[in-house]
Amino acid sequence: MVNGLIEEIKARVMGAEPVEVSYTEKGYHCALETSPDKLSGVVGFFDEKRFYLECLLCTDYTDYLELVYLFNTHLAPCRVKVALKIDPEHPVAPSIAAQYASAYWYEREIHEFYGVLFTGHPNMAYLFLHNGIDHYPMRKTKVPVPSEDQARLDSFKPGEEEDTFFINLGPQHPSTHGVLRVVLKMDGEYIERAEPVLGYLHRMHEKMAENRTYQQFLPNTGRMDYLGAMSFNLGYVLAVERLCAIPVPDRAKFVRIIATELNRICSHLLWVGAYLADLGALTPFLFVFDDREQILDVLEGVAGSRLTYCYFRFGGLYNDVDDEFIAGTRAFVKRMWSRFSLYEKLVTGNVIFINRTRGIGTIAKEQARKYGVSGPVLRSAGIACDLRKIESYSAYDGLEFDIPVGGHGDVLDTYKIRIAEMENSLRIIEQALAKLPGGPFMAEKVPKKLKPPRGDVYQVVETPRGELGIYIVSDESDGPFRMKWRVPSFSNLMIFPELAQGVLLADAVAILGSLDLVIPEIDR
Amino acid sequence: MVNDLLKLAGSDAGKMVIGLVGVLLFVVVNALLLTWAERKIAGHMQRRIGPKEVGPFGLIQPIADALKLLGKEILTPAKVDKPLYYLAPTLIFVPVLVSFIVIPFDASLQVADINVGILVILAFSSITILSILMAGWGSENKYSLIGAIRSVAQNIAYEIPMLLALLPVVMLANSLSLREIVEKQQGLWFVVIQPLAFIIYFIAGVAETNRTPFDLPEAESELVAGYHTEYSGMRFALFFLAEYTNIFIVSAIAATFFLGGYQGPVLPGIVWFLLKSYLLVFVIIWLRWTYPRVRFDQLLNFAWKGLIPLAFLNLLITGGLLKI
Amino acid sequence: MIYGFIQGAASLIAGLGVTIRAFFQPVVTCQYPREVLTISPRFRGHTKLLADAENPEKNKCTACGICVKGCPSGSIKKVEGEKREGEKRKTATEYLLDYTTCSQCGICVEVCPFDALGFSHDYNGAGYKREDFHFDLVKQLKRSKVQ
Repeated sequence: MVNGLIEEIKARVMGAEPVEVSYTEKGYHCALETSPDKLSGVVGFFDEKRFYLECLLCTDYTDYLELVYLFNTHLAPCRVKVALKIDPEHPVAPSIAAQYASAYWYEREIHEFYGVLFTGHPNMAYLFLHNGIDHYPMRKTKVPVPSEDQARLDSFKPGEEEDTFFINLGPQHPSTHGVLRVVLKMDGEYIERAEPVLGYLHRMHEKMAENRTYQQFLPNTGRMDYLGAMSFNLGYVLAVERLCAIPVPDRAKFVRIIATELNRICSHLLWVGAYLADLGALTPFLFVFDDREQILDVLEGVAGSRLTYCYFRFGGLYNDVDDEFIAGTRAFVKRMWSRFSLYEKLVTGNVIFINRTRGIGTIAKEQARKYGVSGPVLRSAGIACDLRKIESYSAYDGLEFDIPVGGHGDVLDTYKIRIAEMENSLRIIEQALAKLPGGPFMAEKVPKKLKPPRGDVYQVVETPRGELGIYIVSDESDGPFRMKWRVPSFSNLMIFPELAQGVLLADAVAILGSLDLVIPEIDR
Repeated sequence: MVNDLLKLAGSDAGKMVIGLVGVLLFVVVNALLLTWAERKIAGHMQRRIGPKEVGPFGLIQPIADALKLLGKEILTPAKVDKPLYYLAPTLIFVPVLVSFIVIPFDASLQVADINVGILVILAFSSITILSILMAGWGSENKYSLIGAIRSVAQNIAYEIPMLLALLPVVMLANSLSLREIVEKQQGLWFVVIQPLAFIIYFIAGVAETNRTPFDLPEAESELVAGYHTEYSGMRFALFFLAEYTNIFIVSAIAATFFLGGYQGPVLPGIVWFLLKSYLLVFVIIWLRWTYPRVRFDQLLNFAWKGLIPLAFLNLLITGGLLKI
Repeated sequence: MIYGFIQGAASLIAGLGVTIRAFFQPVVTCQYPREVLTISPRFRGHTKLLADAENPEKNKCTACGICVKGCPSGSIKKVEGEKREGEKRKTATEYLLDYTTCSQCGICVEVCPFDALGFSHDYNGAGYKREDFHFDLVKQLKRSKVQ
């Protein structure tokens, strides 16, 4: 796939020099450099080849800014890093938002943090920051914001219009689960336009990473996605292990899988509860908490914490699992298998629930690709993309499990997929427990101070919400030079305005809930 | 002196006053009890306990809550339409009180047996909608307004099947007086003859009281708290009180019309009446803690395309059979 | 359509069955202030100083300051110690932890070369002012000895 692609790029795109890179070292298959005038040709090529835009990020190397476009395909991993160097004095680049809808927000984000102006972008307003900034926060040198940019960065303000009115869904609203604000332009009960306003929980984790050592950043990972803290933790340690080439003992790999899958069930359970609460049924919420509690008890027993576990370390684990953990996990798996019939009766079969969710928020395959959605939302559109299988990491390749997919792409499909994923997670846990090898849980000789070689890596993991990508640039110091988090909820939320157009307010709440958003992860 | 008082109490006006005081007392006690029951039932359905700290089994909890609400500052948002905003929580009590006048708690325990009793209840219950609309409009809040509009549409839609479901019973009993309807059920409860009417009435009743799965006017995940978003303290408590009293009234009418009212062996009539009513109240609470909420258009479709034709059909068949 | 209607009604009744069964089942919650669950031994509360095994009067901290450098949030405000007679290393006399900014990540526990730090099992973190959480771990250790 990669070789053929390189040949094709060389033949089709003028002046492009793609090079193949080692996937195990870098986390991507192919790199290519381009220039602003050739960008649209390159992007057009990938668009035609049905690639999706995985991530768009910027790095400030002081003497130049580098924009990185990561393209990938859903079913056969072939990640291409397209780099574009631009002048830090006059940072201008062509916008690709017309080709890739997911670039719309990424470009806004880069604009407010780095000051890169994307020509042809429809709306370069603030995404995260509010009330004006005097210099671009992510630049390595202090660059003041020019006055014309200040005006452009003005945050979203709804105008006055006849016969329609605006409703603020949030930032404090029962169904946004956190501090997301969605401005809805309403015509009676119907939504004409929805505009998410982000940044109420913005903490700038990416900047924090630049000021910390690799070890010191570890606790931050769980704070981004507090419901899938294990997955974020895992993604980060895998990225740093790839960067520093640290081997991981087999026992640690399997324990990581068990812990991550437990956490995945935990997250999906909470989603089921919260989603049903969105739809007005409050009892399932308490039932799932009963189940979730069993997982938390088991995880607390090894990690010492119930939500932000911070259990994995570079090269292994914080501490080894004991017999109590294994017995507890077995007991939970047994209990959980018998609980599905209860949810089936209470929720899945319920005619009111089915009528509320069937045919709502339908996502087509092409739409999913344009927006770069991932996780259960992507799989509901019928694309069987699960990174645990397609870009297997840790020891997932030795385990048997299915990728549940939907056929309609509606909200009911995402629900069914999450339930089926819980069943598959139970299967994974059972297998991992059976295969759990002995031996050390921590790699030998992991230096106390990591000084990775110069270069960049990309690492993806499948979190409960979808694809998490971590891009790290090292400059040989003990902390990252640049760290970018491609978070699943961010991409999944991008599709919401399109899905919400023309639907009832009640449906908008149902759609928003089905995306399974975790706001601190979006805002970072 | 005592004789005078007794005489006064025996007169019609006196009876009315005593009745009203009794009704007021009952309304408050019933609402307090129901808030407690709701939380307790919800608790146990969710495998937890519910209130338990204040008093035995948490029985004093509603009083503590009422005291808290009384002690709260009465906030009036700056931009509200004051007359409407102030009037709405008071007005919502009128239908509640009037309905109680005609409900027969026992053979002799009824404030007034008006010969068009059921009409009084149905006519006055429409005032509830008015006060909800006033609350929603007067609050100058978009959530409240949407909640109020939903409530009006919903109540109009569900009042029709409700009425249509009660009519067959009226035809069977040949009377509009509630006491006579109960007396006619001595041998056989009307629910046996009219099971469909009972189900239609009960569904419409749940919708009338704005309870899950029909709680759209106050759908908290969409509209925060619907029409009473801007109300706090005692004004909010009045809405709450009215809501719980309405639940009881709907159940009481169902018991009167379909379950034989105060009729029953051994136990005194009032015990039977309360037993039947509270059983239905329990079912309404049970529904709330089981189902998700329906969507607005589905709710209206269900009423106009489902319940109303069905109720008409039922009415026609009953009428036809009675003629034969 | 009629079949769908019956199916729908059956699903609603099945749902009612679930909740009514739960209604008669025992509760699963822990009545917190009345009963308390056991804390797992690995529970990560705020950090505490550990006493020396040989000399329980003394803590194991040597005031080297590695934890101060390692802390990602700068929560360890001040570590001071003095050298007592006849001992090779210093012993901490003051260890100020600002628990309000601490996230219990445990990096200080891991980097400590003398294993002088551990996690307490104190989970009742509530107070009226910020200063309630500016702990002096040396004093805390002494207090726990007294009790």
